[in-house]
Amino acid sequence: MSLRVLNPNAEVLNKSAALHMNINAAKGLQDVLKTNLGPKGTIKMLVGGAGDIKLTKDGNTLLKEMQIQNPTAIMIARTAVAQDDTSGDGTTSTVLFIGELMKQSERCIDEGTHPRFLVDGFDVAKRATLEFLEKFKTSVVMGDEPDREILKMIARTTLRTKVGAVCFLAFKLSLLGQLYEGLADQLTDIVVNAVLCIRKPDEPIDLFMVEIMHMRHKFDVDTRLVEGLVLDHGSRHPDMKRRAENCYILTCNVSLEYEKSEINAGFFYSNAEQREKMVAAERRQVDERVKRIIELKNKVCAGNDKNFVVINQKGIDPPSLDLLARAGIIGLRRAKRRNMERLVLACGGEAVDSVDDLTEDCLGWAGLVYEHTLGEEKYTFIENVKNPRSCTILIKGPNDHTIAQIKDAVRDGLRSVKNTVEDEAVVLGAGAFEVAAKKHLIDNVKKTVKGRAQLGVEAFADALLVIPKTLAENSGLDTQDVIVSLQNEHDRGLVVGLNHHSGEPIDPQMEGIFDNYSVKRQIINSGPIIASQLLLVDEVIRAGRNMRKPT
Amino acid sequence: MREAVTVQVGGFANYVGSHFWNFQDELLGLADDPDADPVFKNAALDMDVLYRSGETHQGVATYCPRLVSVGSRVYILHVHGGIICRVSWLFEFIRSGNVTRSVSKPHGRNLFLQSLVEEGQNPSTSNGGSNSQKSVEDKDLIECLENGVNFWTDYSKVHYHPQSLYELYGSWTDFDKFDNYGSAQEVVSDWSQIEEMNERLRFFVEECDHIQGIQFIVDDSGGFSSVAAQFLENIADDYTNTLVLLYCVRDPMTLGPSRRNQRESIMRALHDAVSFSKLSSFCNLMVPIGPPSLSRSCMSPYLYIQDEKPFHASAVCAAAIHSITVPFRLQRTGPSSDLAHSSGNLDIGELVHILSDQGRQNMVTALDVAMPAPSLTDRDAMGNIEMKLHSLTPEISDEDEDPYSVESLVVHGALDRGGQRTSISQVKDSVCSVYEARETKPKFSHLSASLCPLPVPLPFPSIFRGNIGRHGEILSDHAEESQPKGSLDIESIPMAARLRSSSAVLPFIERRSGSLQKHGVARGTIGSLVLRDWGFGREEVEDMGEHLAKLLRPFHPEMDLTSDSD
Repeated sequence: MSLRVLNPNAEVLNKSAALHMNINAAKGLQDVLKTNLGPKGTIKMLVGGAGDIKLTKDGNTLLKEMQIQNPTAIMIARTAVAQDDTSGDGTTSTVLFIGELMKQSERCIDEGTHPRFLVDGFDVAKRATLEFLEKFKTSVVMGDEPDREILKMIARTTLRTKVGAVCFLAFKLSLLGQLYEGLADQLTDIVVNAVLCIRKPDEPIDLFMVEIMHMRHKFDVDTRLVEGLVLDHGSRHPDMKRRAENCYILTCNVSLEYEKSEINAGFFYSNAEQREKMVAAERRQVDERVKRIIELKNKVCAGNDKNFVVINQKGIDPPSLDLLARAGIIGLRRAKRRNMERLVLACGGEAVDSVDDLTEDCLGWAGLVYEHTLGEEKYTFIENVKNPRSCTILIKGPNDHTIAQIKDAVRDGLRSVKNTVEDEAVVLGAGAFEVAAKKHLIDNVKKTVKGRAQLGVEAFADALLVIPKTLAENSGLDTQDVIVSLQNEHDRGLVVGLNHHSGEPIDPQMEGIFDNYSVKRQIINSGPIIASQLLLVDEVIRAGRNMRKPT
Repeated sequence: MREAVTVQVGGFANYVGSHFWNFQDELLGLADDPDADPVFKNAALDMDVLYRSGETHQGVATYCPRLVSVGSRVYILHVHGGIICRVSWLFEFIRSGNVTRSVSKPHGRNLFLQSLVEEGQNPSTSNGGSNSQKSVEDKDLIECLENGVNFWTDYSKVHYHPQSLYELYGSWTDFDKFDNYGSAQEVVSDWSQIEEMNERLRFFVEECDHIQGIQFIVDDSGGFSSVAAQFLENIADDYTNTLVLLYCVRDPMTLGPSRRNQRESIMRALHDAVSFSKLSSFCNLMVPIGPPSLSRSCMSPYLYIQDEKPFHASAVCAAAIHSITVPFRLQRTGPSSDLAHSSGNLDIGELVHILSDQGRQNMVTALDVAMPAPSLTDRDAMGNIEMKLHSLTPEISDEDEDPYSVESLVVHGALDRGGQRTSISQVKDSVCSVYEARETKPKFSHLSASLCPLPVPLPFPSIFRGNIGRHGEILSDHAEESQPKGSLDIESIPMAARLRSSSAVLPFIERRSGSLQKHGVARGTIGSLVLRDWGFGREEVEDMGEHLAKLLRPFHPEMDLTSDSD
């Protein structure tokens, strides 16, 4: 009320009303995303103002596309999306976990517990869980030759949950059964091979070195990994070869187009011959550059059947293209800036900024270069390269939905493989970790805490179970049955997860269901922080000029 | 032939662009139409400059604008919640305790778009015998557009290339409140969106053999100017020698009466300063367009414009931009030869060179337009063309006595007293005599002329007053009609437009430079906090201030010494 004195226009919510608003928002968001978790989760259909449709079950996409208006929900959504930005996965889990923490707290608060005790309990439980995670994780020794099998399993767990929608679109329901996992397995191979291709020992993995290219062509099962590069443009001269083998690749950033001289100079001539001469003089500089490239070509390609390809970041104008074509060189202009870096990694050689001092060492190599035309779009494939350090995932699909979803799936898959390689550890999936952590908290940690903070630990432990519960619920199983049987197994000292086909406990290690270690750690870390802050809110005020500003 | 690529960024820029492309589409149609005025066919502007030909996946040939248009998008699956809406809402929300999801109704096609779709499906009916019925329909269409244009797509009749339209999205950005430079922070920092815009542009640039430049239309009244600045910076990086001609357009409403509090007006002033400084640093020639009120401007004897409708205001801006681009499309001839239907070809490079490299070396130019252009041949009325040009650039000084000014004037489709088209040489003579008669002559003036007037396409708003004739001639003996005329009564309009680089734009720059100094530099003031919110460090603000000072320098040659010394 004191605020009313300060500003009569202020809108205020106090004490329990504020708290309940926060709790309701968290629960509401949880409700929205709950059904999308796990391989058996359902799909959401987003409809845009213009009637455009997007089908997705990816939590990150959903949160980004939805227009959320409740400030608390926005805060939670931002935490979850930040989670995705840093680790590439776990958006839905974060939202569910925060929602569940709030739900458990609500029960305690209704019974008269002060939020402060809960927050203290959360803090203890969080630290204990993180310690437990360190013990629980399965180390993966990467060494020089990473274990492809483990990587594949990780990638598969991520992808299976994402790709459902793709198959739904492409093959309708009849084929859903087999192809669903078929495509996921195919993508798994692609993603793992891509990451291993760009990986350099002792350096962080730069996923930008994997180019993701899409073509609206054929079917999603034609998606493949190109060890090399695919460019989205072709040569612009009718006489250039459309296909060449054994090619030298020159990657350059040199302007091969005629630019007007800076000064506004006139052109005065009295006959055609004179004019020719002047045009030639104006062009001489450009031609000089082209000639140097042709000289190099003649040097390296003399007496063998090798070919020469120039890929330029700047423009190449028709007369220059003509000269190149006559010398039997394939020329591509205006390459993407990022592709210049990738080209060098894929083909070798170096990117040159000037054509002075060109030597054979500047050149890269590719076994095969060919052009593919789809309508007015041209694609240039550069394949069969030696020792690629960059590669392209070529996504194909019959329509834009399919392509967009495979793209999202590939992006997540890449990041989860990257995480595994960098963490050198994985965590058993299918809910096994959550059940084990709960048991640990209740059996060991709760006793060490004094007083009412125990309630916080308990709430935290219960909240962890939201993951296996939701997995079960989405598979159409009975939640309580599943949780009880899982807990029984854990009490007997076995580490088990949930088989979402049968509802029976399984050993995730045998089934190859793993989660990313860093993703799990992030969830455990960020969830309680945001939940604690929301719980400690005792007043919501909208009066300030800054409150209306979009944050 | 040298290609130009067009970029449109932001809401009002797309409004303008939509009109602009409607004109081009109309020109294309009239050139092929045997019934149309032969002037459209003979004076053929080279449309390949702006258009590209391609084909679809099915092998159907297409002819589309070489255009990248950037707008905003919102997915409409709301998760509603209380506090942002209203308090009563909030309490209801707590009581019921659940989250409601609502999917808003997609915007239906209006009558005009429906008729376009129908026409596409059965083209035979559109030119059948039922002419009387057709015109009734057209009247309905026009009325429907007059009353209900909510989006720029509502009146567009052009086929765009699928790569042309790009929608920005920001999960936490509210595009309804996208009204200052800082509000686009999220979008600009999203690497993938900026990259995608570059990709779209690259698609069009890559296929150009000799690109003459990029025309960039930006709505600089809000967050889009920050998006555009980022985009322009990338263009400057990627296409080093490609010239950028920038039009900053504004909806008159955004400049409307200031009923704001102090903080808002400071934000407004800073936004203007920051976006002007940022945008001008990455382009070669800048043309600010957007007078505060068109309805009360000097054009009002001929035009009836409702300021609150962006549909109206954008039509005038688009017509002016169309006139400016006419010389880019004229046939190239030697300096001595005289063509019957056009003269004074320019390309973007030459225009930039004429206006910004000579005289004062000032890159900010004012745009003046006469719509419709006055009749020319009558010797007495000749002074008119000068008098009838009215500025579309805001905040400039009226006096026009700058001996160092440089101008480029475009006259197309001019008529004489009797309503006959004047020849190119007549236009030249009369313009020359006007300049002869002036007291202070500009340092340099370039004239482009073409016979081809501005066609008025069907979805053009009804903004002409009753004293305008069928071909845009000014009727002296007209009955006082209240009903404004539109595309049904008027076929074409003669136009004159002028880009002017003179000291007239000095107040425009000074005001921006001044407000940055006043609000932005002092520590701890509202202004500096605002700038910090927008993500500018102290040094960046100083850099911007310096850039603005540099733009002012050409007007104060005596300042050179003092500012160079530090």
